[in-house]
Amino acid sequence: MSETWIRRLNAFQLLLVIALILLPIVWMVVSSFKPSAQVTAYPPTLIFTPVLDNYRQLFSTTPFGSYLVNSIVITVGSTLLGLLFGVPGAFATSWSRVNWPATVTLAARMAPGALFLLPWYIMFRTFGMIGSYSAMILAHAVITMPVIIWVMLPYFDNVPRSVLESAQVDGCHVPEILWRIALPMVLPGLVVSSILAFVFSWNYFLFALILTNQSTKTLIAASFNFIGEGATYWGALMAAATIIAIPPIILAFVVQRWLVSGLVMGAVKG
Amino acid sequence: MASIRMKGIVKKFGDLTVIPRLDLEIQDKEFVVFVGPSGCGKSTLLRIIAGLEKVNEGDLYIGDERVNDLPAARRDIAMVFQDYALYPHMTVRKNMAFALERRGMPKAEVDARIRRAAEILHIEPYMDRKPKALSGGQRQRVAMGRAMVRNPKVFLFDEPLSNLDAKLRAEVRTEIKALSQTLQTTMIFVTHDQVEAMTMADRIVILKDGMVQQVGGPEEVYRNPVNQFVAGFIGSPTMNFFTAARCDGGLRLADGTKVPIGGKQAAALDRRSEAQVVLGVRPEHLRLAQGGDGSFEVTVNVVEPLGSDTLCYFDFEGSRHVARLDPERPVHAGERIRFSFDTARSHVFAGGDGRCVF
Repeated sequence: MSETWIRRLNAFQLLLVIALILLPIVWMVVSSFKPSAQVTAYPPTLIFTPVLDNYRQLFSTTPFGSYLVNSIVITVGSTLLGLLFGVPGAFATSWSRVNWPATVTLAARMAPGALFLLPWYIMFRTFGMIGSYSAMILAHAVITMPVIIWVMLPYFDNVPRSVLESAQVDGCHVPEILWRIALPMVLPGLVVSSILAFVFSWNYFLFALILTNQSTKTLIAASFNFIGEGATYWGALMAAATIIAIPPIILAFVVQRWLVSGLVMGAVKG
Repeated sequence: MASIRMKGIVKKFGDLTVIPRLDLEIQDKEFVVFVGPSGCGKSTLLRIIAGLEKVNEGDLYIGDERVNDLPAARRDIAMVFQDYALYPHMTVRKNMAFALERRGMPKAEVDARIRRAAEILHIEPYMDRKPKALSGGQRQRVAMGRAMVRNPKVFLFDEPLSNLDAKLRAEVRTEIKALSQTLQTTMIFVTHDQVEAMTMADRIVILKDGMVQQVGGPEEVYRNPVNQFVAGFIGSPTMNFFTAARCDGGLRLADGTKVPIGGKQAAALDRRSEAQVVLGVRPEHLRLAQGGDGSFEVTVNVVEPLGSDTLCYFDFEGSRHVARLDPERPVHAGERIRFSFDTARSHVFAGGDGRCVF
């Protein structure tokens, strides 16, 4: 096969992948600006006059602003909590070369969320925490912490052992070695793991459905309200989904360089 | 400044015993080199002293204090690592100041110490650079500077020259030696390079399989090796070994050549019961001969003219040997040449345990 054909095939593959990824997003954004009747019209209308009705409905019929604040509080809180325990956990795992605790956290991440839901519901209800931020932050830490541990682990493994030992000889204790020596050396990993944890927590639906109440409901759970038994407000749902998708997309663009180099670095480490 | 005492040190990694039992004393202000082949336990021993490895048995003293349970952070030692282990996110100045600042030393004192170390090591122009902007040699100096400013009780060097090119290695070797004379601090240097050991050490500790083979000054271990391993490890090119059988008045080599042994050496040999021994001869103790008793003829394989002398390689009874010759005497590959032994400066090792008979 000639060079030109290989290039054309590569370009076709690339376009196909981009289309598969972007098409649903474009569909979602475009639909959010369509009049209600045209959202589900078949065949789909491609030429239309954009309207903001769906966004108006979103903010007029629901306290969407407070849902947004709830989502931010719970996502930032659970990401910070995940970092607080996940980063030292990853460092300790790398330092001690004992991997099983990290594997246990991974198993927790792999397990379906429903597995945790009932015990947590009972536990949080016993302590009167249902509908509180703290219950949701704790619950979402189960999402964020394993992500952070497993993203950070290869970064810590890549820090030369001698540098850490040098800090030991220089008089540092282990927490100090983590804070003053290792952490500045794994900053790209810290950024990558924080973003992934943020996105996973932001998009996680199940816990919010059960563990929140009206005052702590998150965006993703609130958007579910537009799907009713009798009617589904597709336009408002698309508008909600568009708003929900904005923070992760902005984050991904802002730290694109670190994200790519970070993921590659993690991948190279065997 | 402090002495170091190791009593009955045993170190195991799981089922693998790296140091079976070791006793060693290092005097205050002494420059000691641990040397031995890969896997002999020299780096492990250094890491035990640093507090980076725990011992399974035995006692380790720095000065008068037993430090077995003292973490590395509190042993007041400084270590230069093989890969320098500089903090990559800090400038040279920050690297050197790090240990002092975290101890809460006044800034003026920190600056003064850094300035002095930078002067001695000629690294003033690089103080605001980060390690990635330095060459290997410069990084090596910074690592030494970082250790120096600490003014520690003991300096530990873990093969710090092995990543440098030959020219730089020779330069830094001289600098470290000069530094040890200036600082007057106990220093332990680990290397597998016997030339480094010979040129730098006050005393050399030769290790094999975690056991001390010999401890002594460079001259002593070179001239009076206690066994065949030490004799073969110390010296470049290495000592030549000839299998020999005892006979009346001396030794008989595998090709039938009789090597006469007399005086005290003959008496020492008589005290041993082994029939087979190994004759050890340094390359410079092989003499050109015209003929006669104890001489043997060989064909020269390879000639290496070094300027100051010429190395002449030849095969004898299936083994390669080397002689160090006067460069004024031209030698050519393929030439037939006759050698004899300077028996007064040769050694004989027992055939079984390899211990030196004389």
